Amino acid sequence: MTGSTVHIGCAFSIIELLAVLYREYLRYPDNNPRAVDRDYLILSKGHGVMAQYACMYELGWLTDKDINNYFKNGSQLKGLSDSRTPGLEVTSGSLGHGFSIGVGIAMGLLRQNSDQKVYAIVGDGELNEGPIWEGALISSHHKLNNLMLIVDKNGFQAMGETDDVLALGDLSKKFISFGFDTLEVDGHNEIEVSSAIRHLWARKNEKPKALIAKTIKGKGVPFMESDNRWHYTRLDTNTFADAIRALGLTGAK
Amino acid sequence: MRDAFSNTLVKLAQADKNLLLLTGDHGYALFDEFRKKCPDQYINAGIAEQNMVGMAAGLARIGFRPFVYGLSAFIPIRTVEQIKLDIAHDNLPVVLLGDGAGFVYSHLGTSHQSTEDIACMRATPGIEILSPADRFEMIASMEYAYAARCPVYLRMGKADRGDVHSNIIAQFSSGHLLQIHEGKNDRPGLIATGSMVRTALTLGHNHNLSVWSAPSLKPLDINSVCTAAQICNGLITLEEHSIFGGLGAAVAEITSQHYPVKVLRIGVEDRFSEHCGTYEYLLQEHGIDLNTISEKIIKFYPKIEASL
Repeated sequence: MTGSTVHIGCAFSIIELLAVLYREYLRYPDNNPRAVDRDYLILSKGHGVMAQYACMYELGWLTDKDINNYFKNGSQLKGLSDSRTPGLEVTSGSLGHGFSIGVGIAMGLLRQNSDQKVYAIVGDGELNEGPIWEGALISSHHKLNNLMLIVDKNGFQAMGETDDVLALGDLSKKFISFGFDTLEVDGHNEIEVSSAIRHLWARKNEKPKALIAKTIKGKGVPFMESDNRWHYTRLDTNTFADAIRALGLTGAK
Repeated sequence: MRDAFSNTLVKLAQADKNLLLLTGDHGYALFDEFRKKCPDQYINAGIAEQNMVGMAAGLARIGFRPFVYGLSAFIPIRTVEQIKLDIAHDNLPVVLLGDGAGFVYSHLGTSHQSTEDIACMRATPGIEILSPADRFEMIASMEYAYAARCPVYLRMGKADRGDVHSNIIAQFSSGHLLQIHEGKNDRPGLIATGSMVRTALTLGHNHNLSVWSAPSLKPLDINSVCTAAQICNGLITLEEHSIFGGLGAAVAEITSQHYPVKVLRIGVEDRFSEHCGTYEYLLQEHGIDLNTISEKIIKFYPKIEASL
């Protein structure tokens, strides 16, 4: 991995969430990331986009060349989510944007009597941003039951632990009080994540949904897990090899 | 002018059920007719402008035509980043309506005054800027904004200063100046926008100066500005906006490159309002009332002092 500020820890905390969504829930007719009747996955926490690139590669939306050019001159794959890349819905990384866009899409889809669904992944650090709460208020007020907010609750943000920077308190209670149908899960347990998403959609009510996913920043690489230096730090040759070994992968360069 | 705004909005909405009006809990009686005739197309998004602009982006992505209304101190100023990232970056057909631009809310102080909105939107890629001066320009601007199918910011300033045109504007096109008075060619020409066009017209009549209205500020048509520069002996720009980044700056940028002439930019200097007062009082405080503008023009163009 070349380049700095790749936010690798931010990406590893959401990879299982993305895997479940892409594998089991998101509908992309004809495998087309821009199909008009697709479901919407909005990565509001654009810092985790590297994990989404990995999923898009598995889907065949990105090529080997795309992946190998990541962070190089001329690459379409930027360090933060960019809507001009097919498969990415919004331009985010400046936090607190994506969820509001998702609220608008969900509101519009209900008006169109569509059964398409909208998922918006926000970071717990991102919950510092006011527009998220503005969007939460209006999504329950307008009964947007086709909208699911997924909080990647890894407990860290750029400069430290969320509890130290701006404590969030009991997130589930907060979202319940905002009118969301809410569940908490282990965000790395794919069975649990999938089951919770299924349950939330199965409940026939008029509430927007909130999935609070407890995650570990840097999950999967022991020396990265919950070490916030990996918000910014890049892998050098040695740490890259160590990470690949820890992930049980071989042959990667 | 506000009736023209309201009536045109209702007309456009009745013709297109995908047109949605979003407001950040502003508008009062302005939208009575809209709510009566198009109740399902009206969304009060609450006092939450950042989310409202993001929502508008989401709605536009799936085929709706959002018109987003707020005070220009908030739409666009409070929401510049949402406009940049959520709307302009994706070239979404959202019309942003900023009401009360300049010193309309003179008594309320700096929080509700807006003299930097044009500059912020000029520097944001991919968004057009409209700034109508009277009801005829308002009708043309609204219809243009709807038809443009790109991000548009429509700036509404003081709305009760009377008409500057005598009839419907048949051919309204992006960036073109509209000449509303013909003066003597040996004198400077006036180019004004929004509320200041009325002032410019009075100056034009009193002192035999050619006057153009600029209802469309971005993109500003190079030929249109150069034509005015060629006809007149220097140019004076008038705007109820900062002299930095607004109409005057746009005219000076064009003339400096394409037809260098002296350009006097009259607008708000690099300062906030100090006092409470009426609209006219605030214009005086900022030196953009009729008398002070006359003095500024004479000081800058001493050769024409006698004729003024």
